Amino acid sequence: MIVSVGAEIFDYHRVRGRQAIAVSGSLFEGEELAFNGTARVQDMTGFGKGSWSGDAHLLWHGNVGESLETSLHLERGGRYRVRFQFTVAPDYGIGMLRWNGNVLRESIDCYRSGVALAEVIDLGEMSLEAGEQRLAVELIGGNPKANFYGGDKYLLGLDYVHLDRLDNEDAEVVKEEVPSESETTVSFVDMQPVMKEYCFRCHGVEKTEGKLDLTRFLTREDFLDDIERTRQIVDALEFHEMPPEDETQLPIQKHSRLTAMFRGFIDDYLQEESSLPPVVMRRLNRYEYNNAVRDLLELKGDVFPLPEKPLRAARSYFDPGSGRLPNIVRVSNRALGKNQIEQHILTGVMPFAIDLQAEHGFNNRGEELSVSPILLESFVGLARSIVNAPEFAGYSNAYERLFEMPDGEVVSNERQLVKTRLEILLERAFRAPVSSETLNRYVGFFVSERQRNESFELAMKATVAAVLSSPRFLYLADRAPAAESEQALTSYELAARLAMFLWSSLPDEELLEVARNSTLGQDEVLDTQIRRMLEDSRSQSLSQNFARQWLRLDQLITAVPDFERYEKYYARIGCEQWKFGLQTMLEPLLLFESILVEDRSIMLLIDSNYAYRTDEMASWYRDEIPFQGKENRNRFNTASQSFSRRALTTRREGGVITSAATLTMTSSPLRTNPINRGAWVATVVLNRPPPPPPDVVPEIEADDAAIEAKGMTLRERLVQHQVNPSCVSCHQKIDPLGFALENYDAVGRWRETYRSGLEIDASGELFGKASFKDVVGLKDALLENPEWFMRGFSEHLLAYALGRELEIQDKPAIDRIVRAVLADHGQFSAVVSEVVRSYPFLHKSNQTAHTE
Amino acid sequence: MILKQKSLDRRTFLRGIGATMALPFLEIMRPSGALAKTAVAKPPVRTAFFYIPNGVVQSAWHPKDIGQGFKLSPTLQPLESVREKVAVFTKLDRIKVAGTDGHAQAGACWLSSAAPDELSPAGYPLKRTIDQIIATEAGKHTAFRSLELSCNPYEDNRESVYFDNISWYGHGHVARSLRDPRAVFDRLFAMHEHASSGSVLDVVLDDAKSLNRELGYLDQQKLGEYMDSVRTVERQIERVKERQASIDALRLQPPTKPWQAMSREEFIQVMGDLMILALQTDLTRVATLMSGPERWSTPLTVEGLFEKPVQHHGMTHAQGKEEVRKDLEQLDRFHIEQFATLVSKMDAIKEGEGTMLDNMIFTLGSGLSSGELHIYTDLPTVVAGSGGGAIATDRHVKSPQGTPIANLWLTMAQTMGVDIDRIADSTGPLAVA
Repeated sequence: MIVSVGAEIFDYHRVRGRQAIAVSGSLFEGEELAFNGTARVQDMTGFGKGSWSGDAHLLWHGNVGESLETSLHLERGGRYRVRFQFTVAPDYGIGMLRWNGNVLRESIDCYRSGVALAEVIDLGEMSLEAGEQRLAVELIGGNPKANFYGGDKYLLGLDYVHLDRLDNEDAEVVKEEVPSESETTVSFVDMQPVMKEYCFRCHGVEKTEGKLDLTRFLTREDFLDDIERTRQIVDALEFHEMPPEDETQLPIQKHSRLTAMFRGFIDDYLQEESSLPPVVMRRLNRYEYNNAVRDLLELKGDVFPLPEKPLRAARSYFDPGSGRLPNIVRVSNRALGKNQIEQHILTGVMPFAIDLQAEHGFNNRGEELSVSPILLESFVGLARSIVNAPEFAGYSNAYERLFEMPDGEVVSNERQLVKTRLEILLERAFRAPVSSETLNRYVGFFVSERQRNESFELAMKATVAAVLSSPRFLYLADRAPAAESEQALTSYELAARLAMFLWSSLPDEELLEVARNSTLGQDEVLDTQIRRMLEDSRSQSLSQNFARQWLRLDQLITAVPDFERYEKYYARIGCEQWKFGLQTMLEPLLLFESILVEDRSIMLLIDSNYAYRTDEMASWYRDEIPFQGKENRNRFNTASQSFSRRALTTRREGGVITSAATLTMTSSPLRTNPINRGAWVATVVLNRPPPPPPDVVPEIEADDAAIEAKGMTLRERLVQHQVNPSCVSCHQKIDPLGFALENYDAVGRWRETYRSGLEIDASGELFGKASFKDVVGLKDALLENPEWFMRGFSEHLLAYALGRELEIQDKPAIDRIVRAVLADHGQFSAVVSEVVRSYPFLHKSNQTAHTE
Repeated sequence: MILKQKSLDRRTFLRGIGATMALPFLEIMRPSGALAKTAVAKPPVRTAFFYIPNGVVQSAWHPKDIGQGFKLSPTLQPLESVREKVAVFTKLDRIKVAGTDGHAQAGACWLSSAAPDELSPAGYPLKRTIDQIIATEAGKHTAFRSLELSCNPYEDNRESVYFDNISWYGHGHVARSLRDPRAVFDRLFAMHEHASSGSVLDVVLDDAKSLNRELGYLDQQKLGEYMDSVRTVERQIERVKERQASIDALRLQPPTKPWQAMSREEFIQVMGDLMILALQTDLTRVATLMSGPERWSTPLTVEGLFEKPVQHHGMTHAQGKEEVRKDLEQLDRFHIEQFATLVSKMDAIKEGEGTMLDNMIFTLGSGLSSGELHIYTDLPTVVAGSGGGAIATDRHVKSPQGTPIANLWLTMAQTMGVDIDRIADSTGPLAVA
């Protein structure tokens, strides 16, 4: 296991783009600053695109005497040059600027007859201490020429605050060295007495906790023979689960030697038994099918509406090539409502049913993606309905090139023409060189269709529909390796696997070209392609297909907090029931997308100082009573929502664990569910899913009011219920992760105490290594030990990329990925690149070697 | 909370899908051509399964006495009007495989009683299920070999494939259930759609065969599913063609209401209607209908029964509390009522000398007896219809301790003409006559 150096937490917000951002100068966008009250972000593109920094500013209105208040966080103290950029307009007032309470400018008149940028206010040099900086602009009056806003109020607009660091002694960033693991061999004979002393009492002849009798392992070989057990032992030791808290603990040195010995066993096993687990060929799932057909036939949009795409924008905001996710993202997630899902894009085209996720996995696993007669019927019918839809000709940019007879010239050899067209199409559709046998099969099909008195176009449509129904299109399969047991993927197979991983689709022409000339396997070519593909908007599939499933966000769709207790969660608009959760679902996805697009560190998924939120969400997180003054009908804007990027002022917010979406979907209607939450964190964040619950589960009251009425907190109640040691040992691992989140109620809002006034205990311990007293402490523990999350995330991503469950043979590859990711501080592109360059991704195995 | 009391109105039969009349079987439905020549007057026996997830409250389920004329238990009360054509079986067991989820296993293994060594990639024992074993035989004569339906109303993807399916073609090969009544209707009755698939299937099967030569062992197994499906659909097209005229003559209208807008009762009844219609018209002789998926701890509205959405799964674990158990009993009764309504509908259809129900083996059950403790013994089992006289009804059969439910499945398979003498852990056919 990799241990990070020192307890100091690296600032993961510095990881940005290809390089870490310079720390010397910082621009704090008004629209990214924390705000409250009437403040909101205004999109300024309408007043001149490119004029306002970030094309937006922070807008506020109020009466004379009130203040626009905000704050920013300074990483380090020192001397800074400070500049402000305000907006001027006909109904803007006069403000007095304060910094940490001190008046810096008595009067700033923001009146102008037109909307424009004010002159930059240069405050010159200031000495600032690190930490929170409170900024306020008090409205002290208005220019006589200025108009009132809303009767008796004025507006103020702040574009940015620019802080230029003047001290420069700290230029060098220390690159952390990852210690290499040089462990001397520890022999079994040496360690047996240690095990006897610390383990045998519970895992021996008299007691066999966890059905493990260690006295039966007499030699090193015995452990190698039961490698799954050995792996569990290493896990239990590494994460300090054993010995249990209430037993005699192993002295540090003995612990590390014992762990090293077992780790050595695993290494030995992998030396001898390193065969690559096979990937079973997999059928495209619904999302991948949509993308593949869209790209193959060059459609202008999706084939059918997909609930898998919760974010819908009229104008695409997702442009990874720009290196920046816009500050304001206007989207509609109405598609989650029933009406839009049933809408057709192409008349008569019906999607097939969504494939369900594997246990603790994704819905792209070969073993679980079957083709039944019903599904086969669907595929055949679906392909036909696509090409025959009345809108199809106008919807496909390839229509003329593929389906129409060439204009004005007499086609002397129709067969030849079709052959040429299909040769190109089949290579792309089947992601493989096209054999003459295959080509002739489909040309022959065209000819027979044509002979049935079909027009050229109809015969071509039937042929394309047949291509879309072929197993070569519907399955992602690698050719069996020749003689050896393992072999590198061919460049076509690598291209196909890469496109499915990063785009959930087919390779495009550029990728096919490097497959054709067999250069894709070369390091620099592969590198270039990975970067190009990540910068292509198709990489949004990593958010829609990977992140959505990884975070299990679909569960939020059907979460039903109690109608009465959490009345504000709902609104009835017309005859439709609207749920707040439909908005919150997008917050973690937009965070993920910003990390992807801006190539930031995945550690921001644990703790980020910004978030994308609507005004309603801001109110939800911040206000004592959310949506005040808003009636049921106008509580939520259901047509579209504007998410703006906001700086967060508290570390209770930020990252995915503390998002309202996660906290709501892991709760029950009338109370939080710490076990659920803990299991979610263990599974999603750490990829250590707890075993399934036992058959006998003691009941816990469904309503926390009933528990608190007895003067007991939910935590106390749950602990009371762990009646026997077997409950305790498992719940000790799961529950602390959930208890740490007890400060959030069942709909993800912060609370200082329980409703009855009882104190909340959010303290706990993680893997015997890090103790924390609240959720910020939990985040710190995860940031201090970044390899925990980096490992969990990398494993999820690799399993997704391969379309199979990971096995012990993958351990060396994962170790290598995690080491490299750690060195790059979790930069997103580094994780992706390491996964692609890993041995399991680049190779295939001989499947006969694995049939028992 | 009071359950809505309703009497069955025969005219409402098939209301959901727009047809208004019960259809006499032999006159209209017999296919012309080869099959018609061998047809005898006796209508075929058909098999259907109705699944209820999460088990039932035990105390309210078990009839106190056994044999003929037994007194229906509180939960079984809704069967009163059809009791003469119903048999209740108790003390039938399945072996549980430790270490895997109790719910997924309950549903996915219910109809196979797969042994612990038949582990799937996900760790559940999976094997060809009894409906599919029967379909291989009974499907020789029908357009569709089998029909799998689920009234799963959840729009999230909380659970994996093992929770929403009870029918398996084989190890790891799921007969995925259909959830959308409109899609079910189109599949069964939109005949022209099927016929035009023919030539495409030839070319893709050819392509599959050539691809097969390039693949490794596991991939060949996987592609085998595809090829089997192509062959099944090819046969299906042939038979559908034979039935084209008779189905067209029915002038059926598809269900108009989207399932998302249906109440629980409507959803189950419309799906049930479609199933009955498919069996009645002899488009298939084997069907499974899940009233809901296993576990799926997402709250659900049950209109007319509870004011707020309820978590069926959560309730089963909290049934130690009296008020929860009372509610759960209501929910159990609701499911029995849905089943009883479907049984009555079958009994309202004249067929030969009797009714369609007389030629049915329509089994209600769950893969758990009590959801509270995930118990796999004494599984709730009700069989409606006598399978053309093979099963004695109007009685409660209590088997000796340790009788595998596979014995009942074996009996059914034999009644349906499958030449087989053992299924999973069966010890011999269950005496049902």
